[in-house]
Amino acid sequence: MKIKEWILHRVPFDIQRTSQVMERIFLKEPIPKHMKNWYYALGATPLILFIFQVITGIMLALYFIPSQQMAYESVRFITEEVRMGFWIRGLHRWASSLMVIAICLHMVRVFFTRAYRKPREINWILGILMLIITLGMCFTGYSLLYNQLSYWATTVGTNMINEIPLVGSIILNLLRGGEEVTNNTLTRFYNLHIGFFPTLLLIFIIIHILLIRLHGVAKLEGREDEESYSFYPEHFYHTLVVTLFLLTFISALTVILPPGLGEPADPNVTPSHIKPEWYFFSVYTILKILPLKLGIYLLIAVVLISTFWPFIEDILRKKWPKVNLYYWVGSITIVLFLAFTVYEIIVS
Amino acid sequence: MAENNSLQTQRLIVGVFSFLLLVVLIIVAAVEMKRTREDKPVIEISGINNRCVDCHTNKGIAVKSIDQWKEGIHAVQNIGCYDCHKANEGEFDAFYCPESDVLVARHPTPKDCAECHKQQVDEFAASKHAHQFWLIKNTDRSIFEFPLATRHGCEQCHQISNVWPDQSVGECDACHAKHTFSKAVARQPETCGECHIGPDHPHIEIYLESKHGNIFRANEKKWDMNYSTKDNKPIPIEAPTCATCHIDGNEAQPMTHNVSDRLAWETQSPWSFRTVWNKETSGNWEMKRSRMESICKSCHAPDFVNSYLLTADLNMLQYNEIRRMFVSWTKKLTANGTISRLELNGRFYSDPVLSGWDEVPEVLMYNAWHHEGRRFRHGAIMMGADFTQWHGIWDLQKDMVDLFSWAAERGDPEAKAWVNSKNPAKFVPYALYDFPGNAFGINPLSNLQPFVYTNFPDYWDRIYANVKTAYEKKLLSENQWNLWLKRFNNRDHYLGYKYNADSVFNFYKSLDDIDTKAFTEQAVELKLPGKPFWPSSPSSPSKK
Amino acid sequence: MELEEKPKLKTRRQFLINLLMGGGLLASAALLVRHGIAFIFPKAEPPISRKLLIGRVGELKVGEAKEFQIGDRDLYFVNTADDYKVFSSICTHLGCKVRWEAHRNRFYCSCHQGVFGNDGKVLEGPPPRALDEFKVQVDNNLVYMWIEEKRRGML
Repeated sequence: MKIKEWILHRVPFDIQRTSQVMERIFLKEPIPKHMKNWYYALGATPLILFIFQVITGIMLALYFIPSQQMAYESVRFITEEVRMGFWIRGLHRWASSLMVIAICLHMVRVFFTRAYRKPREINWILGILMLIITLGMCFTGYSLLYNQLSYWATTVGTNMINEIPLVGSIILNLLRGGEEVTNNTLTRFYNLHIGFFPTLLLIFIIIHILLIRLHGVAKLEGREDEESYSFYPEHFYHTLVVTLFLLTFISALTVILPPGLGEPADPNVTPSHIKPEWYFFSVYTILKILPLKLGIYLLIAVVLISTFWPFIEDILRKKWPKVNLYYWVGSITIVLFLAFTVYEIIVS
Repeated sequence: MAENNSLQTQRLIVGVFSFLLLVVLIIVAAVEMKRTREDKPVIEISGINNRCVDCHTNKGIAVKSIDQWKEGIHAVQNIGCYDCHKANEGEFDAFYCPESDVLVARHPTPKDCAECHKQQVDEFAASKHAHQFWLIKNTDRSIFEFPLATRHGCEQCHQISNVWPDQSVGECDACHAKHTFSKAVARQPETCGECHIGPDHPHIEIYLESKHGNIFRANEKKWDMNYSTKDNKPIPIEAPTCATCHIDGNEAQPMTHNVSDRLAWETQSPWSFRTVWNKETSGNWEMKRSRMESICKSCHAPDFVNSYLLTADLNMLQYNEIRRMFVSWTKKLTANGTISRLELNGRFYSDPVLSGWDEVPEVLMYNAWHHEGRRFRHGAIMMGADFTQWHGIWDLQKDMVDLFSWAAERGDPEAKAWVNSKNPAKFVPYALYDFPGNAFGINPLSNLQPFVYTNFPDYWDRIYANVKTAYEKKLLSENQWNLWLKRFNNRDHYLGYKYNADSVFNFYKSLDDIDTKAFTEQAVELKLPGKPFWPSSPSSPSKK
Repeated sequence: MELEEKPKLKTRRQFLINLLMGGGLLASAALLVRHGIAFIFPKAEPPISRKLLIGRVGELKVGEAKEFQIGDRDLYFVNTADDYKVFSSICTHLGCKVRWEAHRNRFYCSCHQGVFGNDGKVLEGPPPRALDEFKVQVDNNLVYMWIEEKRRGML
């Protein structure tokens, strides 16, 4: 094994220990029996979708041109003329929506099983941060299309950032690369979408999974003594099936409901209906109903409470030990979110 | 084992899902293959045309014509505004575009089109579309219709034969509407129908009544009218439009913009006559007729074509006989002073054989050629049965009756004799042509009825003599005469006399008798009790 | 004597299921890879050509040249002794615009004194090859040139 020796001489790591650790982490990791339920595959789903996005995103970046003149045209080129272009683009588009849904479902699962409780609070915070970054990626990604809807959604969306107290206008200038939405905006969004955000997200994902592996998967409350099974081969098969299913489902969606192109962006013509993507509907509605400043403050408060929820809950639990606070908070949040989303769909 | 089982199930599930994925990926690939990519050519606007487009777009002047131009075939080949609208100093329509130094022509004429389309312009100029015949007798017409009325009337249609100051003739965009100059629009029957319409030449109406027009209407949405029949390409559509017979080519002959090339009759004129237009280049009428027949025979059997056209030709000749009668009367009435010509300073403004607007015989004679006479002829030769019959011969005969009645009222002895005559043959005071049977089939019943058949034993001898004379005068071709002879010598077959359908006729007659009985009982014999209101005077409107 | 380990027996069912799984995974992976490669390698499409009208026969005398534009391209339309030709006006040396000198019957590039004959071939100077030529077609009395169809936007 001349080659092996050659490598080990230049990259000196302990091959015995490394393979042992690898095996423990990846293959033999005990997973509590409750995870056999498909509900618990919801953590892997966003990861799988993220990998889809990275791969399809890199492929799309082979043809996309981030300039005001060519952005729309290059997307049209991909959709209409590149072989399998419409499929890769459809995958990327649909996977982004599904990723948001998967993350939300995962959050709901984690929240309602109180897996964020001590000692896993940091993981929860990381999760919230990852959610925000993902939404940021969705927002920036959609703007790259540079059709009427994306141009105006970008304008309106970044306008709202202005309302954030203290740092609002600085962030606005940073994002837009100037006072108005210009060519700079497009290039900055492109940078965020393919550079800064994915890297940040990847780092967070690694830390997130690392923490899970280090802590072990959280056991259900009241079932601390349950059995566990090893990751490979069962959970692995679960994951494989999820991957295959997602790929099939998204490809089918691409064929049945292909993503459209819309009208190329025209800064002189404001369309009568400007709407963000569906996952922003609830935020959009709230900001339409409430006075803008109040709405922004409210949203910031919601973000802060969500981020530090494990600690907040701890404090509140000490006050009212009998109340299942998380149950109420979670349910009300979900109901409100759905209500505002549906409201926006129906009203427009 | 249980573990193995569940693992097995897992593997099974993986296998199933991977096949599902395979299927979907195949579907994706299929969708990809099926997509048709339409390559719209990029229109490049170069040089001075850029200035035209920019200025017109900025000022919002006639901007749709730019869009129209982009749709047409000139734009793709880099033929732009200035190529047609260029002008030289001193030309009749040259002017500077406002706020610019560009000298443009307001009216591109056929001379401009001829720079690239010389053949079509020359062909057009050789046709009667370029003939200003309407001006030859226009002075007489102009006393009846003042100029303003003709601007959007006569002049609009006859613009097609406009003579321009630069000596070119015609108006190409009369059919090839600008700025697309689309072939499909030019082929649309309604394009011809913009002018070939109305009581004096209802061509679009005749066409739409005909089977050709009917099939066209049923299928027009499916047909792409943008085809080419240059280079002896076959006719691609199932039923003809105006352009198919009069302009387009087929395997046997090229297309031509000379519509007179295929017309063997002059049928709009006061007298029908065989065409001699451009004999040197287009040949005699038989040559022209053979060109038309070649198109007919793309679809129709030769026997049908020949029989139909011969019958129509005899109708053309028959009209002449009817006209002969009208003309002799107006001449006579003018000669004996019953009617008079309009005159000023020694020049006449009406003509006893052509036009006259103020006296009934003149009007009747005019209508008998310009309106009902044309309708009769055009309906006969272009398959518009209603126009041959009710708007044709029926109106013609009525005109004749009106003429005789008017003359009789004013004391003309011949007319009075006609009015007082009880002889049913009085409605045929002219020589007749006839054709044994028709082109459509054999009818054992219809030829038993006609008055002239049953009351004149020498009828067919007279007809024979007339048709023979027409042939000898070269008004019918030898093939036509032979066809007529064949029909004549087999009258018993073609007129259906050989065959007996009496029993069938009696069946329908018995049903008709029932109808007769019904309307007699229901209507004729109905006596209402309520009295009419006249002649008795109304009762006083008092008590009750 | 030690009992030999029984070889792990697989039932036919297990074998079939393994085959299904393996085959399915392999096939779908292969098709995935095929689609990906089709995406990554752009199709080499043959260029479509289009005919443009540029002038009339007799418009130019023998040896005469006319400059004209197609879109943003500057071109020369020349009547050589044999036939009509259309050349690009871009010098093949370093891209300057050549000028037609009628009195000398040649194209002259003033940047580095390159000279092309009226047939586009290099006569003097640093240009490495003849002027770019476009296909010309004469139909009746009209002269056309063929250009490659511009693909919308990209390329």
